[in-house]
Amino acid sequence: MACVVAAAIAAIVAEAFRAPGERMPIGPLGAIGLIGAAVASFLLWDHHAVSFGVVSADNYALFVTFILIAVGLLSLALAGPVIERQGLPVGEYYALLLFSLGGMILMAMATDLIVIFLALEVLSIGVYVLTGIRRDSPASVEAAFKYFLLGAFASAFFLYGIAFTYGVTGSTRLDRIGTVIAAQAMSPSPMQLLAMGLLFVGFAFKVAAVPFHMWTPDAYEGAPPSVTGFMSTGVKAAAFAAFARVFLSALAPMHGEWSHVVWVIAAMTMILGTVVGVAQTSVKRMLAYSSIAHSGYLLVALLSANSSGKSAILFYLATYALTNLGAFGVIGLLEQRDAANDQLTDYAGLWYTQPVLAALMTVFLLSLGGFPPFGGFIAKWFIFTSAIEAGQTWLAIIGVLTSVVSVFFYLRVIVQMYMTSSTAPLRLPPVPLVAGVALVASAIGVLYLGVLPAQVIDWAAASIGTIF
Amino acid sequence: MSFPILTSLVVLPIVGALALFALRDEEENERAIQIFSLVVAIAVFAVTLLLWARFDSASADFQFVEHHAWIPSFGISYNVGIDGISLLLIVLTGFLTPIALLCSWESVHKKTRAFCMAVLLLEAAMIGVFVSLDLFLFYVFWDAMLIPMYFLIGIWGYDRRIYASLKFLLYTMAGSVLMLLAILGLAWLHQTTAGSYSFDLLALYSLPIPEHLQFWFFLAFALAFAIKVPLFPFHTWLPDAHVEAPTAGSVILAGVLLKMGTYGLVRFAFPLFPAAATFFAPYLAFLAVVGIIYGALVAMVQPDMKKLVAYSSVSHLGFVVLGIATLNTQGVQGAVYQMLNHGISTGGLFLIVGMLSDRRHTRLISEYGGLKLVTPHLVAAFLIITLSSIGLPGLNGFVGEFLILLGTFAWNPKFAVCAATGVILSATYMLWMFQRVNYGTVSEKNRALPDLKPREWALLVPVIALAILMGVLPNLFLRPIAPSVERMLEQVRRGAPVEANASGRDVTPRAGN
Repeated sequence: MACVVAAAIAAIVAEAFRAPGERMPIGPLGAIGLIGAAVASFLLWDHHAVSFGVVSADNYALFVTFILIAVGLLSLALAGPVIERQGLPVGEYYALLLFSLGGMILMAMATDLIVIFLALEVLSIGVYVLTGIRRDSPASVEAAFKYFLLGAFASAFFLYGIAFTYGVTGSTRLDRIGTVIAAQAMSPSPMQLLAMGLLFVGFAFKVAAVPFHMWTPDAYEGAPPSVTGFMSTGVKAAAFAAFARVFLSALAPMHGEWSHVVWVIAAMTMILGTVVGVAQTSVKRMLAYSSIAHSGYLLVALLSANSSGKSAILFYLATYALTNLGAFGVIGLLEQRDAANDQLTDYAGLWYTQPVLAALMTVFLLSLGGFPPFGGFIAKWFIFTSAIEAGQTWLAIIGVLTSVVSVFFYLRVIVQMYMTSSTAPLRLPPVPLVAGVALVASAIGVLYLGVLPAQVIDWAAASIGTIF
Repeated sequence: MSFPILTSLVVLPIVGALALFALRDEEENERAIQIFSLVVAIAVFAVTLLLWARFDSASADFQFVEHHAWIPSFGISYNVGIDGISLLLIVLTGFLTPIALLCSWESVHKKTRAFCMAVLLLEAAMIGVFVSLDLFLFYVFWDAMLIPMYFLIGIWGYDRRIYASLKFLLYTMAGSVLMLLAILGLAWLHQTTAGSYSFDLLALYSLPIPEHLQFWFFLAFALAFAIKVPLFPFHTWLPDAHVEAPTAGSVILAGVLLKMGTYGLVRFAFPLFPAAATFFAPYLAFLAVVGIIYGALVAMVQPDMKKLVAYSSVSHLGFVVLGIATLNTQGVQGAVYQMLNHGISTGGLFLIVGMLSDRRHTRLISEYGGLKLVTPHLVAAFLIITLSSIGLPGLNGFVGEFLILLGTFAWNPKFAVCAATGVILSATYMLWMFQRVNYGTVSEKNRALPDLKPREWALLVPVIALAILMGVLPNLFLRPIAPSVERMLEQVRRGAPVEANASGRDVTPRAGN
């Protein structure tokens, strides 16, 4: 129900301004729609509304919805300068963004595999187009094409997974699947394993887990930075929400089977994401690999599958959303019409010319690297707590060591900004007010989550405690 | 509820740093920024002295305790309090920060406001480390401290500053993340045995930890602290960081940051895991002795004064670790005392080297010579601080080293003999450097060097006065330390296996101590 409310608001608003011409204040309309969705979700908190038995606005879904709404609002605010500078079609941009956001929210709330698939497609198609929205840029088109092809494959895998699951259990409803699987005392049939594996591939692709991460660096680099920020946070949050819901509720009885696979994938994702990240010279690609690594940390929490692991996923997604959007927001502001300015060397001496932007970027990077007193530290701590609780000591050790490696590449940007002087300093137009406010707001959010995380941790725990 | 004096100590520098935003970072504001931050730092020092005045030296308990829930669902609390060991280290921090700020007045002209903010934030984090009684809080301060120090070295350092700052940060972090896991493991153990999460140090002190876990936890903690100290063979970041850091950075690094490693051993690693600590103590002592001799030998051949002092730190900190490893009263008391000494004398040496390099823009010993004729006052101060670093009786260094060697001798004479050669070696390299810099013929380039300016007098006089005071009246400083050290040793003994107690480790305090 809430889903319908939220998605409809998003969709209607989006529809509404597709018709009017270019000069309408479209962004604020979208923002109003999102705030409406936020109010609706707030009112639905603790009501556990269910529609048609396939969409459930439980607190877990609502928590993710809040994250997604924040992602949406920040993306809207940060998109403005990019759209203007690149001459992107305004109406389409916002409409696609809101549509895919609607898909994400639906994905977080879906309790039926078919609905999850629908939501997945809704969000994916929007994001594919957004990736390629710079039609005249070969890099952008290439990125969109790659993303689309690989994404279509992954969707096919996912769909096969649904089909096999239906074949084994006779249902696509998560609760019924769970009951059927739990009822089988014996080890699962090969068919069931296959179904699970296919579903896993579909999700792993969306969250950019190794070895299904190939599209990530290209898509992140090719897309306009505001889109990259949106998809790196929104898609990840939605996909992980559904991932966790499917694997921790319906497939929870098979934890023994999938945990080994997830262990290996999580370790590989963390290691590859950080190690390859070190070699990047483009900040966008570097953040793409960092995003892969962060998926690895989230997989650790998923694998731990205990109560702190579950709330750790939610807390991590919230922190990561704020942090990464902020970082891409800064990148978006540095980009110019004729120059991407996303090479490490472009950041040289930024602190001397743009001290505020540099300081904000520093906050986001240090938070991504997991330094206190920023949110990223608490998020990582939470994940490692869950890993230790689950007895996954080795995974935790890999996790902390890779996070040290990742600090190295985050610091490379800081080195450039603070410790290198630039021969040709960037000439930037003044920062638009809305984007500036959005950046400062996310920085404050990151700091809040780092210094006073108790409230949000309790919410996360409460919201996940109600379902599984 | 009484006034939250410890919180105010942490908050005051942060507020001061934030208040600096009110002053625009421009040339004409430079002096105002410097004066304001100096005033803040002196105010913090005054509060630390007030803390000392109100501290009950006879008690071994944690005092001025404040306790507030922070993340209650995981038993994490804002829990601060101090005992005699942390008290003096806090006073040392308060003492060295204004000096670090003042010594940069002439040498830092780039982004002065950010520099002062970094120093003040660093001070807040350092005090935070010393007051934390909650392991999570401790870790937060411990890691947060790296950021301002990283920027201090990386922005205001010398030529190879980027390499040095990165090395410093990654080294320290690599050690400390494993400690984080050990902390999490401890809290989880508390959850499984006592039913609730807790990061409270006092609760964890009384937690029975199985020996195999103690083993791993101790290794994780000890690695983090050994890198920080730095104990041989984890010391390689130190010479780079010291040499490339600006003088203020070196003073704080040597004076306070290195002490956090040894403080961590005394406060966390040893009392939390007594069985593992008694098992590993001889190995730590061995590394410490190797470090003492190795550091001294390497210091001897350094052409660069700053590097020489940096390696001398490796050697001196080896004494501190050795003293802690003895696990008897004299050894540990001496170790704590030596932590303070090293902060004073090495901080002083870095000040002097900084003054010389401000004048000549080189730190190579061979560039100097005959300074005694040119700058007699500077050389006199240099001499006193050199002697205090060597450990001349009557100055501070002697008391600490003597106590440590006494304790070591009672525990294991072999270690004591080897370590004592370090004392001789330190006299050699320090005096040799002193001789090459200050005696001999004056080269043309050095002839016009100015002597101490009033600002530099203001820097050196307190350092020298404290060196003499600590040498003449050691009991003033040992009094608050003693009960806390006893409590810590008691803690270790209670948890240590019986056979270790029987093997003569338990030395009763002797007369005259």
